[in-house]
Amino acid sequence: MIKYDEVVNKTAETLVKASTTFRPDQIEAYERAVKNEDNPHAKWVLNNILENANIAENKLFPLCDDTGIPHVFLEIGDECELPAGFFAAVEEGVAKGLRQLPGRPMAVLGDDKQRISQSAGLSSDPGDLAMAPIQIRHIPGKKIQLTVLMLGGGPEIRGKTQRVFHKHSVDTVLEEMIAWAKDGVEKLGCQPCILGFGIGRTNVEASSLALEAMKNGNFLVQSDMEKKITEAVNKEGYGALGLGGRTSVLATFIKVGPQRASGVRVVSLRVGCCFDPRRATVVFEG
Amino acid sequence: MQVSTPISNALIKELKPYDTLEITGVIYTGRDAALPRVVKLIESNKLDELGIDLNGTAILHTAVSVAGIGPTSSNKLDIESSIPALSKAGVKIHIGKGRLTKETVEALKEYNSVFAVTPPVTALLTSTVVEKKIAAFPEEGMEAFHMLRVVKFPIIIAIAHGKSIFDK
Repeated sequence: MIKYDEVVNKTAETLVKASTTFRPDQIEAYERAVKNEDNPHAKWVLNNILENANIAENKLFPLCDDTGIPHVFLEIGDECELPAGFFAAVEEGVAKGLRQLPGRPMAVLGDDKQRISQSAGLSSDPGDLAMAPIQIRHIPGKKIQLTVLMLGGGPEIRGKTQRVFHKHSVDTVLEEMIAWAKDGVEKLGCQPCILGFGIGRTNVEASSLALEAMKNGNFLVQSDMEKKITEAVNKEGYGALGLGGRTSVLATFIKVGPQRASGVRVVSLRVGCCFDPRRATVVFEG
Repeated sequence: MQVSTPISNALIKELKPYDTLEITGVIYTGRDAALPRVVKLIESNKLDELGIDLNGTAILHTAVSVAGIGPTSSNKLDIESSIPALSKAGVKIHIGKGRLTKETVEALKEYNSVFAVTPPVTALLTSTVVEKKIAAFPEEGMEAFHMLRVVKFPIIIAIAHGKSIFDK
């Protein structure tokens, strides 16, 4: 039986881990990039990112001061009965994790108009930062897998969700994705980027699929389409921190969903920063 | 190169893109909320009243919070549009990240100021801060205008004297 307190505490721990820790595949991707890089300035940046990850993990200090908006992705076993108050416990765990981290206190105060114009100030409590609406999928079995993703603001400026007319060619869509990625990666300033794409039928679905791609992505497992996009952007030579070099994009993660019987595909792109995807997963045995 | 604040015009004249510096001394921080307000204070000659002297200083585009510091995108509207007026008022080094427009490159040249970038490596950068205090607009919270005393804060010059590393 899954207990309320267990959900609160493990969610909090998972949020802190997502915010402070690189995964082994991520570290290996960076080590490969350092070896592959000729540009000394870019190499300096890549090594700084690895050193930062080392300090962050040892001190449990945030990888980036934009600790991000918490997004929770739940995979619920078909045979699992959710305990009462499960979602409230997740929410409490997110707030607890933000205070433990501590997250950047960036909850915007006020009524609708004040929050839009940011004219009523910010909360000083990191835990006041509301998490984004939860994404849910179902999986076989009794377990619940809870993944916390922390999404920083820079990539939100450079990402977009829009329709693409595919002309019955996957290349048409890929070319458009590459064009968006080049534009975003050039401007982001936190290269190397990690690109997250979702391709679906509606704007909502495509965005949700992009998040799923970021949840699943493994830096050492890249499909043909993912490699094609990474390589095309890397040819531009923007490089780490825009200083030039081979590594503008470290990896691309794509999730293709069901498609509409139509000439239109909806593509969602997150131009992830050099710490993306900041994520960690906990499993609850139901 | 080791650099101490205040930064002289003579030093800035020598800098070129890709020079790597480590700054020690007092720097200021501001981003979307604070920088346009600092520009308004400059325009109304009220900056002195707050005891802020921008001559020879550096401004880091960051929030300052319990989560540390780290450069935000300098090409956000509120930040980039503040750079010309801040340069005119004596700011010698603007530190952030991302590509800036030709207009900003020209403005930096006109006022003998430079733009530098630093990786968003918060855990590492925060370890260079030895003192911090709010210099203006405490109501902006983490976005307030802060004074930091730093030791060996690492930067790379990205735009100097009309030349930009972002030009192809």
